[in-house]
Amino acid sequence: MDERKVQILMDSLLPLLKAAVAFTVPLTLTSFALGLVLAVITALVRLSHWRIGRLVARFYVWIIRGTPLLLQLFIIFFGLPSIGIILDPFIASVIGFSLSVGAYGSEIVRAAIQSISAGQWEAAYSIGMTRSQALRRIILPQAARVSVPPLANAFISLVKDTSLAASITYVEMFRTAQEIVAITFEPLLLYSEAGVLYLMLSTLLSGLQNFLERRLSRYTTR
Amino acid sequence: MIEVQNLHKSFGAQKVLRGIDLRLDKGKVLVIIGPSGSGKTTLLRCFNLLEQPDIGTLRVGEIVLDFKEGFKPKQEQILKLRKQSGMVFQAYHLFPHMTAAGNVMEGLITVQKKNKAEARRVSLELLERVGLGNKADSYPHMLSGGQQQRVGIARAMAVNPEVLLFDEPTSALDPELVGEVLRVMKSLASSGMTMIVVTHEMKFAAEVADRIILMDSGRIIEEGSPQEVFQNPKSPRAAQFLNILTENK
Ligand SMILES: Nc1ncnc2c1ncn2[C@@H]1O[C@H](COP(=O)(O)OP(=O)(O)O)[C@@H](O)[C@H]1O
Ligand SMILES: [Mg+2]
Repeated sequence: MDERKVQILMDSLLPLLKAAVAFTVPLTLTSFALGLVLAVITALVRLSHWRIGRLVARFYVWIIRGTPLLLQLFIIFFGLPSIGIILDPFIASVIGFSLSVGAYGSEIVRAAIQSISAGQWEAAYSIGMTRSQALRRIILPQAARVSVPPLANAFISLVKDTSLAASITYVEMFRTAQEIVAITFEPLLLYSEAGVLYLMLSTLLSGLQNFLERRLSRYTTR
Repeated sequence: MIEVQNLHKSFGAQKVLRGIDLRLDKGKVLVIIGPSGSGKTTLLRCFNLLEQPDIGTLRVGEIVLDFKEGFKPKQEQILKLRKQSGMVFQAYHLFPHMTAAGNVMEGLITVQKKNKAEARRVSLELLERVGLGNKADSYPHMLSGGQQQRVGIARAMAVNPEVLLFDEPTSALDPELVGEVLRVMKSLASSGMTMIVVTHEMKFAAEVADRIILMDSGRIIEEGSPQEVFQNPKSPRAAQFLNILTENK
């Protein structure tokens, strides 16, 4: 590899890392946290006896799962201004990604809740609990354990999906790489470098996932 | 006191309970036997409304509910009735994410709003009573089936119920573990606990039951003291079932 390329690699490392830490990571964390709240609420509504709520929740999941994420981001960022809603790129991205995590996550959480045996509900009822007490104290803590692996997958996907925010002008790591390519004309080099950084991020998260799973499996039945 | 009158329950078109009448005074032990599918579990679950009867009167302690078409008990009535009873399940159904003491304390803290120290004290007392004072901080998966079921009994007793309901509490257990659970149940019975027990442990039934009922196809076909039911069954169907039971032993 020639000297110039090495120099470009070194020079771009800091801006890329900065973009990752200052933009990719905050976008990922914020979107995931909000998305998770949305996922739990949506899952609970779908499992409730509230008919209209169930319908709305199903509609929401249907829309989000049935259309491309990139298109959703475009609608939020480029489309909404024509009805007077103008959002900055970060907010638009957070909304788009949270809605996505909320929809996919709600299916994960719903499946996890349904995987807890009816016996657990009955045992909770038999000691006098209400439905919401049973949910909070007995069912959700167990469902949380079941949903850690699939939610961790969703989280890792999200880290990578945040690169889509580049297309709505949010300057995260991928967009930073694009900008450096525009100056240096070294796409292979820069995109590979960004790729390595994404790989490191997701590997770190996988490690975190393993740790969480091990901690949560301290109490497992059978 | 526990009483049901003319209790009926169907699942879809299948009539599972067809007019059950029974009465149990405080401090007595009732054992329910009968072939598989005869409705024993369903009857037991009606006592704490895990199943809702279609028709009939249900009385547990102070609470009386009169079921008929179109009647749905209010949430508040259901909760009140459930507080009158504790249930011990065939498959234990302990809360796997809580220790033995945690399982027993749960009803005290969440339902009865007792403070933690008080709940802990009561739970240790109860675990002591079922012979598990040294297992308070073990998680269910660390316990044998017999120990888990004894935690289940302590959990059911924690909320100080009027009556304890047992649904085949020993039939998921390895034979060598059955004795420890039956011993606990016996000691509860002799301490004056009101109990309704679905079981096929004939020796236990003969020794502990004040009364036995034999169910078949959703009806009580034989009823009396263990002596009467075991020695002198009135119906041929009952005699036949008891024969099978004793042959299998
Ligand atoms: N939730 C349910 N839905 C439909 N059928 C049920 C349900 N629970 C029990 N049954 C049916 O009711 C009958 C009586 O069941 P059960 O009360 O469990 O009998 P037992 O405990 O005497 O074996 C069986 O035929 C069973 O299949
Ligand atoms: Mg049964």
